[in-house]
Amino acid sequence: MIRARPVARLAELRLLVWVAAFSVAGYVAVVAAASGRFAWYEVAVPLAVLAIFGALHLFLVSVGFQGDQLLMPLALGLTSIGFILVERLAPTLLLQQLSWLVIAAGAFCGTILIPRDLSVLARFKYTWAFLGMLLLVSPLLPVIGREINGARIWVGLPGIAQFEPWELVKVALVIFFAAYLDEYREVLSTPPRRFGPIPVPPIPYLLPIVAMWLVAMLVMVFEKDLGATLLFFGIFLAMLYLATGEPFYVLIGLVMLAGGGFIAYHAFNHVAARIDVWLAPFDSDLRFDQAYQLTQGLFSLANAGILGAGLGNGMPERIPVVWSDFVFAAFTEEVGFVGALALLAFYLVFVYRGMLIALRAPTTLLQLVAAGLSFIIAFQTLVIVAGNSKLIPLTGITLPFVAYGGSSLVTNFVLCALLLRVSDITARVRR
Amino acid sequence: MVSDPPDERAREAPAALMRTRWSPVTQRTIGSNIRRLTFVIAIAFLVTSIGVGYWSLVAASDLNADPFNPRLIAAVRDRPRGKIVDTSGRVLADSVKDGDAYRRRYADRSLAQVVGYASFKYGASGAEAAYQESLIGKDPSDLLGQWKARYLGERTEPGSVVLGLDPKVQQAAVAALAGRRGAIVALDPKTGRILASVSLPSYDANALVDPQQQDTAWQQLNDAKDRPLINRVAQGLYPPGSTMKIVTAAAALESGFDPNQKIRVDDPYQADKSWGDYFVRSASGSHGDFDMSLAFQRSENIYFARLGLTVGSQKLADMAKKFGIGHAPALDLPAAKGQLANGGAIDRPTLLADTSYGQGELLTSPLQMAMVAATVGNHGVQVQPHYATEIRDPSGGILRIVGGGAGDQIISATNATRLTTYLVQAVEAPGAFAFGARIPGVHVAGKTGTAETPSGSPHGWFVGFAPAEDPQVAVAVIIENAGQGGVDAAPLGAAVIRAVLGK
Repeated sequence: MIRARPVARLAELRLLVWVAAFSVAGYVAVVAAASGRFAWYEVAVPLAVLAIFGALHLFLVSVGFQGDQLLMPLALGLTSIGFILVERLAPTLLLQQLSWLVIAAGAFCGTILIPRDLSVLARFKYTWAFLGMLLLVSPLLPVIGREINGARIWVGLPGIAQFEPWELVKVALVIFFAAYLDEYREVLSTPPRRFGPIPVPPIPYLLPIVAMWLVAMLVMVFEKDLGATLLFFGIFLAMLYLATGEPFYVLIGLVMLAGGGFIAYHAFNHVAARIDVWLAPFDSDLRFDQAYQLTQGLFSLANAGILGAGLGNGMPERIPVVWSDFVFAAFTEEVGFVGALALLAFYLVFVYRGMLIALRAPTTLLQLVAAGLSFIIAFQTLVIVAGNSKLIPLTGITLPFVAYGGSSLVTNFVLCALLLRVSDITARVRR
Repeated sequence: MVSDPPDERAREAPAALMRTRWSPVTQRTIGSNIRRLTFVIAIAFLVTSIGVGYWSLVAASDLNADPFNPRLIAAVRDRPRGKIVDTSGRVLADSVKDGDAYRRRYADRSLAQVVGYASFKYGASGAEAAYQESLIGKDPSDLLGQWKARYLGERTEPGSVVLGLDPKVQQAAVAALAGRRGAIVALDPKTGRILASVSLPSYDANALVDPQQQDTAWQQLNDAKDRPLINRVAQGLYPPGSTMKIVTAAAALESGFDPNQKIRVDDPYQADKSWGDYFVRSASGSHGDFDMSLAFQRSENIYFARLGLTVGSQKLADMAKKFGIGHAPALDLPAAKGQLANGGAIDRPTLLADTSYGQGELLTSPLQMAMVAATVGNHGVQVQPHYATEIRDPSGGILRIVGGGAGDQIISATNATRLTTYLVQAVEAPGAFAFGARIPGVHVAGKTGTAETPSGSPHGWFVGFAPAEDPQVAVAVIIENAGQGGVDAAPLGAAVIRAVLGK
């Protein structure tokens, strides 16, 4: 397991210096553009953020961690962009976001330390699935569940804190799928019968998977959250493909999703409204009503041009709840298309690095876990960025590490730590 | 945290590693799956980047100029926007200081849809939207100002937009239509300048720029069944009723039809048995021979239905299209295009008959019908309508003139003169339906219309121009659900014409 002998992590340190540099530069640009009075915490928070970054690095050094050195600077770079944007768009939320970062950093360290060889994940897979389901339905429970902006996906105590449990569920889901598929992948990838080119898998092995599909659809119905539904389904199809390499499963899955979506469009107003807004946001009946957020987001993107309006000089605050749903559009407006490409490159490198970790991992279980977790980051980024730019209907998925929101930050730090753990195990086995 | 001794390294490797399932073969399979998935993800990132690039680079110029984009208005919230004035210099919209921002103030409720609003939240409409750039000191004709704004960061003082509205005509139109729903438009047939424009119900645009009231006001205006935000003059669509007969007659005359040729009218009329239980009805239950002049005086549906059937659907459709029915006028404010028929074409004889006297599936705006009258009055030459007449710089000098193109010859001058004669008789002859438009000492050319509508009593129309021999004004009046149809509308048209001619 992890040695207590410290190791130098110089590549990571060098990259973190860059992160600190652009974090400070971005922050100064925002504050300078605002040119008004600002609160004490607007100075304290960025310093605290950098201190936490440094502490995380020192922590990895002190436990003799041998995992990947690129992943954490990438995640922290994205996190610091997130903080710059919170300062830009909603400075009053800074302190809250900082306290979530502290919790996230704690969860990160905990994940690095606790699951010693990660096989514990496989051993208790049904426990994970059960816990995941419990978390998933928790917003539907009376007292603690609550509905915000039309989606019933929150739990919390009034006035204290609110949490979106499905953020954590997605990690539990990847672990469950990885463990389940690792165990049954031979049966699933070499089905005994084929119906023409279509593989007919043994039904009993497919049942848990179809059950997950049903659950995802139920979530959409009862919690009115398209984003979570789409994400769960995406994870499910990606994992199925990773384990079996069978494109027909993906095809069947997509057909089922399209079918479910079609029924939902006709049966549920909130789904139909999303689709209508997506098809014609500038329709005169919609543009000031349901499509207001999307059209304002598109105006924001249009104001970007090549180099953007400059940090602090755009008008993204016109977009309702810009700091969570439209943080990408806001960022793009002020740093331009070039900046947007740079941000997407950040994610692509993160995903690439994660997939590399998966490729090198010593067991199929770890491979599936690492690839699944990397896929989450890729998928979330794609779904929200494509939603912001009207390529697909908008869903309330968060931009990983950047969008304001505690549940998402904590989960993504745990996710990053798990990826690092896989690379650490690989490094130790390979030696 | 545990520090393991080196000889226990085997145990430190994950337990799963030791299981039999791990074999080089399966690992390679998963590896290629991971590679393929990563490839798909990379492609998706590429596509998404292109999507972002589309909005921020390609579609950007359209969206940046969109009147609903609050950036245009907010960009100058700390400075006054330009004024909107009418021909007499009366200020219709200006900016007043409100805290650290400037807010718009609107003077004339009757011009709410024309002047529009410029709200930080809801964007702009009307002239506020159409002349957005001029009103924030970025008029396209002011190249020096544009250059300064771009490279020196200076903004030219905004100029003003002059609307061609004549206050006394506007007032007469407002007084005439007061208490009704509908629209009146008056324009100069020779230049296309709009002299008066009323659309009722109207609204108070000041509520839409007041931060305290704007949300409720916006909600109410959008929910209102009678749609006050719509400029009925250019965006309201109605069946034109008998005013359409001018177009049918023009089509017939242009195809060489002799207006003195009699057409037999027997109420009720159907061309043959294939029409089944469908008949064209005469408004006065007529039986007799009609020529074109008498048919205009009595607004004889059966005459025009038969005339349309003689001319044929192609020629009628071509003429309607030439007059501008079915496509939006080149107005400087938003205008609806209306339609000739639901499918775009007149595809059956009964529809041809109905269209010929203005029912069927026709939809036109008052502005379109005013232009029909204006074109006949202007010896067959159609000019483009426009609200604004000029854009001025802050010192009052003219930056550019709006409108004033040469115009197109739609029908021959001879036929235009013939139609004018019939339209004068339709007002002046004994027993003429449009008698309500008579003005002593002036020959008024005009046509009433009564448009059947499923929503209650019929709409009343009047279109006309005067003086007939050298028109100074063309007018269209529509009263929604008027009690008696066209008979109600004609006096309103006369009132507006009087205001123009000073009678």
